Formats: sequence, structure tokens, C-alpha cells
Amino acid sequence: MKVTITLWDRDNPLIPVEAEMITPDAFFSGEEIIIAVGNRHMRLDGIADIHIEGEASSAAEVAIEIRGDSARFKRVGEMMTAGSITIEGDIGMHCGNFMSGGSIEILGSADGWLGREMKGGEIICHGDAGDYCGAGYRGGRKGMRGGSIEVVGSVGDFACEHIAGGEVIIRGNTGDYPCAEMKGGTVIILGDCSRVCANMSAGTCYVYGYADEMIPTFERIGCVDRDGLQLHHFRGDVANRGHGDLYVARYGYLS
Amino acid sequence: MGEILLKNAWVIDPISGINGEMMDIAMDGGRIVEYVSDKADVIDAEGFLTLPGGIDSHTHTSGTKVNFGRYMSPEDMRAGRTPKKGAMHVTSGYSVPTTYGNSYKYSALGYTSLVEGAMAPLEARHTHEEFAFTPLQDSFANVLFDGNWGMLGAIEEGDIKRAAAIIAWTISAVKGFAVKLTNPGGTEAWGFGKNVSCINQTMPRFDITPTEIIRSAIEANELLHLPHSVHLHCNNLGTPGNYTCTLGTFDIVPDLNDTRQTLYATHVQFHSYGGSGWSDFCSKSEPIAQKVNMRPQIVIDMGQVMFGRTTTMTADGPMEFNLYRLHHDKWSNHDVELETGSGIIPVNYRKKNLVNSIMWAIGLELALLVENPWQCLLATDNPNGAPFVKYPEVIALLMSKKYRDAEFATVHQDTGKRVPLPAIDRELTWHDIAVMTRAGQARALGITGVGKGYLLPGAEADIAVYPIRVDDIDPAQQYEEVIKGFSQTEYTIKRGRVVSRRGDALVHGENTTFWVKPNVPSEYDMTHDERFKEHFERYYSIRMSNYPVQEEYLHRNYCIRTETDLSTTHD
Ligand SMILES: [Zn+2]
Repeated sequence: MKVTITLWDRDNPLIPVEAEMITPDAFFSGEEIIIAVGNRHMRLDGIADIHIEGEASSAAEVAIEIRGDSARFKRVGEMMTAGSITIEGDIGMHCGNFMSGGSIEILGSADGWLGREMKGGEIICHGDAGDYCGAGYRGGRKGMRGGSIEVVGSVGDFACEHIAGGEVIIRGNTGDYPCAEMKGGTVIILGDCSRVCANMSAGTCYVYGYADEMIPTFERIGCVDRDGLQLHHFRGDVANRGHGDLYVARYGYLS
Repeated sequence: MGEILLKNAWVIDPISGINGEMMDIAMDGGRIVEYVSDKADVIDAEGFLTLPGGIDSHTHTSGTKVNFGRYMSPEDMRAGRTPKKGAMHVTSGYSVPTTYGNSYKYSALGYTSLVEGAMAPLEARHTHEEFAFTPLQDSFANVLFDGNWGMLGAIEEGDIKRAAAIIAWTISAVKGFAVKLTNPGGTEAWGFGKNVSCINQTMPRFDITPTEIIRSAIEANELLHLPHSVHLHCNNLGTPGNYTCTLGTFDIVPDLNDTRQTLYATHVQFHSYGGSGWSDFCSKSEPIAQKVNMRPQIVIDMGQVMFGRTTTMTADGPMEFNLYRLHHDKWSNHDVELETGSGIIPVNYRKKNLVNSIMWAIGLELALLVENPWQCLLATDNPNGAPFVKYPEVIALLMSKKYRDAEFATVHQDTGKRVPLPAIDRELTWHDIAVMTRAGQARALGITGVGKGYLLPGAEADIAVYPIRVDDIDPAQQYEEVIKGFSQTEYTIKRGRVVSRRGDALVHGENTTFWVKPNVPSEYDMTHDERFKEHFERYYSIRMSNYPVQEEYLHRNYCIRTETDLSTTHD
């Protein structure tokens, strides 16, 4: 089943839309897709053309494509278990929250909380992603637990905060505090970052660029060779009795 | 607040000696009256169980500590959200809800009065602000004196009257209701990174022991004729083997008051532990309950633990640090200048955990082994043992051996070797429950005189009507019905108005804060005491003149004045 959602131009495109029902699971079950535009609940077909082709025998066979300005559409793909979502433009906050299977491909950029607390499946974002990519939510003890996220551009602050499993590749730079409170999983940052892995207890993080303002409470173990690159191996965060592995190509401390 | 006639109410009112009578209750002007005119609104209670409004004599719903619990646990805020509905505001939070959340949920359970268990005097304004927005219950604040340097200094000098005078000044300055001691000596010692091991260890800085603090505070409390007794959180909370310390504490309590207990010991479950460590941790509810049975001058509350997530918060800073080291999760620690401290951590009590299972059993054992229900009140030290929304389940457990056995089968398998619970057959009655949830509280707090806890003419018209027909259900068998019945009142009436109906709050406002002002002779008025003023100006971060909470700062409030025995001419 192929679902094409073409969003109409809105009078005020800044009003956020809560769209947690845009998932392959919901389209497969055939339920009415209700969204909230600001504080007004309405059917999705009140703001978009929905074109459905073919049949599906499970959610895995549902492919959703979102066209138009979806930059303020929040929670798309939340809790999805299978199938695929392709977003032609940008996507709003909380895309792929708690997802456990299937795939999301974002051709533009994603706002904050991309793949928050996700358990499985994969997300590919061809643009940039906002803050808290792959993180846990406020007060939560665990961020992403499984699956994979790839961001081709750069991400904001607190990427992968509390991450406990899964794999994340960030091809660009990160903001401040990537992998803070990291508990598991693997994060690869190909660009630069600052204050990486603060208070980590377990897991593995690679920084192929420059790690600025390194946390001083990491123990330097030695050097390793990876993909032809010399990486400094650190273990910590000692301040948290942690035994996570942090590999950085170049680094500096706050002077 | 006009005339109301509540007809066909099946009433249990222990203070008035009513145990299951079909009655009509007339109300006018917020009070219960003999009769009303035929213009009165009539509410048909349909023979449902009708009790005086519930009173929680130890809960944490308001103040800086509670609020810190809210903002350090945003995940708790996500756990209990309700949308705006009728008169009800939006609420959020499960173990530490917003003030409206607390108020609506307590009201749905039939509660009309709440005692905030621990108010730091310096932070009283915040507590009163939250009281004002807890619209469906009257509020009372226990004032923390455990680390009050002025009072400790007077005790060190052996001057009980001066200690009493400092208590009197502080309690009326901060518009508080009762004297609370939390880990006396220990909370203050924590300011120096230390604790006290039990009641006979001298604390740092002051050359006195917890024994001296407790005894002196009790004597001072009785000199001031405060409505409530000293309200004590014993030393050594939560440590294996602490029951001996608790027994020792109960032994030093004199019997000084004819109308109520001389000591209220709170959340005694947390103080009834045997064993020398966590590996041989066990229940010592039996010796504790026996001691309470022998000493009518003591009233306790259960401090029941129920399974699930909650937030622990107490002035007992060193105890929270120990908990933090066990759980290695979030922790907040706070010092309140010359007065007290506090700590907060979130916890999850689990059936799979042996220690948690034993704790759950101990609270129930205390309630079942203390013979006189007036001496053991129902509370969870909300939210420390469990959020108060669990009260209906606690009631059902106490009323049904069958329910206890069914629950016991699901807890940690080794629990049976460590606790006497399975051997206890007692099942509490409706009357016992009425005592343990309102009448006992009213008497222990000393607030029957202001119309709390009973339903005769003159009383405040605070009434809870539960959808329970006592003759139609057997609580020992139909415990599910008991839980359901106590979970949501048919009507909760506060000051003569229906404030909650089948779980929905209908109106706001009219809540009152009760506070105490002892009438102190001028030579004991600390406002004019040079030493006290000098001490205040030297050590406090604010001026003495800015410290008192003005009466105008409170919304609706009622001052309970007491006559004291401080006058020197009496000597
Ligand atoms: Zn308490």
C-alpha cells in the first residue's frame, strides 16, 4: 500500500500540528487519522490530500510519502513498528519517537528530538537534525535503546543524551554535550563536537573530528588505529564510575 | 454555602459515638446545624456510607521540597495529566502532582483537610502560596524545629521556657500549626556531613543528644498548650536494626496531656526494621506495636509502602543521601540556614525486591497489631511510601485477610521468613477505618475544637459520602468493591458545599489555613528579646523584621490562640 499525503499550504504555517497518527500502523488498521492543528482536533484530510494505492497485508507493506511543508508536523512515525515513511521536505519535532521497527527517510532536515527513545528500525536524515537527536525525554533515564539513526548533516546540542543502545552516525558536527549520560550503544561523529560523553557510564563513542573542551575526568588508555586514522582511546566518565569507551582523533581541554 | 439537607446518610462518626445509623444531616453557613428550613437543597445519600471529611495528618503536598520534587522529575509530570474540565484546571503529575492535581484527587477520595508534614520555617511563604491553590482542603503546616539553632541553644542551656518562647515566636511568625522534629540532631549534623546514630549520641556543635531535644520539645509544646503534640520523625529512618532506636525513643515520652497523645510518631513503618544489614533485614513490627499498645501517650501513623514509582522527600538529608547511594539515581540535597535541611530522590518499590516486600508488610502489620485504631493512623507519608491515591487499596488490605494473602503470594518469595504478616488474621472494621482516616486524625491533631472530624451540630460541614452500602458487601471477601467505593466519593462536601461529585471537582475556593498563636507573656516575647534579635541579625540571610509571614499573605485563614504556662508569676 502506498500512501501519498500532500499537505496544503496553510494560512499560518507556524502553527504546530500534532501528527502522531501518521504511521504505517494507523494506515494499515484503517482507522480515522486525527491530528491537532494548534488546539483544534481534525481529520488529516482537512489539511491534506491523501492518495492511497494498492493493498497491504501488514503494516510492513505500507509506504507513506509526505509532500509539502511538514516542518511543523510533530511526532510523525511515533510508535511505528514497521513499514516506511518518506518525508520530502523538513520534519518537525519528535519524528520517530519510540519507534520499534520500519524506516523513516527525511530528505530535508529534522527538528529536535529525532528518534527520541527509539527501540528499533532506522532513520536516515539527509539534512541536519536539531537538539536531542536520539536522546531520552526530560527526566527520562534512557534515550535511544536500539535501531539506527544516520544524519548526513550536523546535529544540535545534547545529541544521544542518555543513549542506551543502537547505533548513531552523524556525518557533520554536533553541538554541545553529545552522548551526555551515555549508557550503551555506539555513536560515531565524523565532524567536530564539544564536551563529549559527559558522565557516561558505558557504550562507545568515536569522534573523527576535533573534540573540544574534553571532559577532564576521562582516563587516557592509549592509541588505536581505526579506518586508517589514529584515535586516542579514553575511558570514563571516572566521575560517574563509568567504563565507557571514547575514541577521539584530535582533542583539547578548556584552557 | 446555603442550607443543605443530606438525607438517608448511613453515618459512622466515631467521635460522636455513631456507628452505622441512618441519619439526615442539616447544614447551613458551612456548619452542621440542628435543622434547616424547607428551602434547603436536598441531597439524597441513598443509604451510602457517610463519614466526616477525611483528614491526612501527615502528607507532603505543598512547599519548596515538594516543588523541587516536581521539577527534578519531569517524567512524573508526564505520568498523570488531566485536561481542563468544567471548574477543574489542567493538572499533571502522579507522585508529586500540581497543587490542583493534589487537591482534586484528595477531594475525590473524600479528604477535606491536609497537614503538610514538614515546612521549613524560612520557606513558609512558598508553602502558604501552595496552600492557597489547594482549593478543596483546609491546610495545616508542621513546622520543622529539628535544627533550629535558637531552640537548640535554649535546650543546651537547660531553659525549656526559652525554647518554648522561640517555638511560639517562630510558629506564629510562619503561620504554622505544630512542632515537627525530623531526625532531631541528625538533620542538623548533616550540615557538617555527619548524622547521629541514635537518641543518646551527642550532636556536633551543640552539646545535646536527640533524647534531650525530643524531651525538651515535648515539654515546651505542652507549656504552650499547642493543639497538636510534638510530631516526630525518629532518628535512623530506613536503616536495618533501627527498631531499637524507635523503642528507646518511645520509652522517653512522658504522658503529659489528658486530651490527646504526647507524641505523634510519623511513618513508623520506616522505623520498625530488624537485622544488622540488608542481608538479614526483617520486620520488627511486633515489638513496636506492643510498645505502642502499652503507651497510650503515643500515636503513630503507618507510613505504608505500596509498590510502584514514587518520589521520596524529607527534611532528613543524611537519610536521603544513603538512599541515593543505594539507587544511584537523581538526588537533591538542600540546607535551610539555621533551621533544617532536606533531600529528595525518586524510587520504585518493587515486588521483586525483598527489602521492598518486607517494608510493604511492616506497615500493614503495624496497623493490624496496634490494638487501638486511635493509636495507629492510616497514611503513606505521601508520597514517600506511596502516592495517597493508593489509600483505597491500603484500606482494602486492612479489611481483608483474603486480599492480603492474594497480594502476599505475588511479593518476593522469601518475605514470609522475615515478616509476621501471613499469621495475622485481624480484619479491620468500617468503624476502625473511619477512626484511622479522620476521627483519629482530628483527635491526634487536637482540632475537634475547631469543628473537625465529627458530624454533630457545630462541626464544620466537611463530609464524604462513599458509594458503599455497608450492609450489602462483605469487605473481607469483596475487597475490589471496597477499593472502588473508597476511590471516588459520591459527594465530597466541604464547608457546606458539594465540592466533588463522582471524581469531578465542581467549585473552587473557601479553603482555610489554620495556624497557631500562643499567647506569650511579654518577658517571653522574642520580638523584644535582644539576644534573639542579635542572633537572628547575625546568622540569618534575611532581617528578622522581614521573616514573619504576614496574615494578609495567607488567603482565608483561622488563628487558633492558646494560653501558655510561661508566665513567671506561676512559678
Ligand atoms: Zn513525611
